[in-house]
Amino acid sequence: MVDPLEDTDESAPTQRRRFVLEETGFDEVPARYRKFYRKWRGAGDQLGPNEAVCPVCKVVIRSSRELWPGDRLYCMPCMSRLVVVRGADGTLEARVSY
Amino acid sequence: MGTPIPREIHDLEHERFLEEVHSFEFWFHSVEGYLSNTTYGHRADQVDESPTDPVERQHLITVLCNYCIGETAALEGASGLIAIAPNQLTQVFLSTQVADEGRHLEVLLHRMRELGVAYPAQETDRRASRALKQFRVELLKLVEGRDWEAAIFAQNVILESLEFSVFRAHAEIADPITKQILEGIIKDERRHIGFGENELGRRLHGAPHIRTRLARVRRELDHLVLGMLEDSSREIGVPADRQADLARSYSQCVERLGF
Repeated sequence: MVDPLEDTDESAPTQRRRFVLEETGFDEVPARYRKFYRKWRGAGDQLGPNEAVCPVCKVVIRSSRELWPGDRLYCMPCMSRLVVVRGADGTLEARVSY
Repeated sequence: MGTPIPREIHDLEHERFLEEVHSFEFWFHSVEGYLSNTTYGHRADQVDESPTDPVERQHLITVLCNYCIGETAALEGASGLIAIAPNQLTQVFLSTQVADEGRHLEVLLHRMRELGVAYPAQETDRRASRALKQFRVELLKLVEGRDWEAAIFAQNVILESLEFSVFRAHAEIADPITKQILEGIIKDERRHIGFGENELGRRLHGAPHIRTRLARVRRELDHLVLGMLEDSSREIGVPADRQADLARSYSQCVERLGF
């Protein structure tokens, strides 16, 4: 049996990375909130560690912190509250929390 | 208003978030971002490249007629819903939706005039899909019956998510002016579909028995939804095998709501 103390993943980060959000050209919310969102750019687009796609309206939501499971996100363009979860394929995704 | 907005928007308390996004102030500064430099929903200097082929032009006019009926239904529905809304915050949000729907109807009618339709209202009545007209009747019955959940389901979930998908598909292949008009409408529709899904999601969580009633409403309206999709796909020119894509936004939403 593996000692649970020995089984801890020491490579797992214990501190979140921080991000400086810049304007993305997103224009669907008031100016002071625009940096928190961007358009999904299609098949070649890749999400950053601080980004998730809104399942309701398909806008990319951004945070100034690296996203971890359990984090709350708000999609202002469609007014949804979301929770970050780890999907079946191991990647992080956002789910609506009514 | 309550506590100030934090620098990281996602740190906001949920009640404060809803207060912010349902406000007229939020709506005003949102639409200002994408409508302030437009005239009737498109840039004034955009050259009109609408179809010159008579058959294609007539298809476009018929599509716009259907959009006008959908927007009229949403305008009448949202207006009526204000009277039965459960609280002031929701009433204020619906007033912004009424403004959006009125604008959509206006820009679509204007676009028809640009395409040479002398009497857009008459043309809309003559050409619009039978399924869409019937859906409008059924929606208004739910509003008149003061059935808040069923009317929100019909309007902000079914109608708005279908419009959202159809407009997005059409914008990909439309002439530049029609595309710009549709892209502006799509931005408004994000608020409407999100409002509907979240409002119903919260209510279903608190009162699961509503689910049975909404499932019945869904069964009653589904054949109209299919009819609307088929009519829209044919007129826009979406291949039959891609029609399922148009229903995806609606089907994903009802799945998330647990139907």
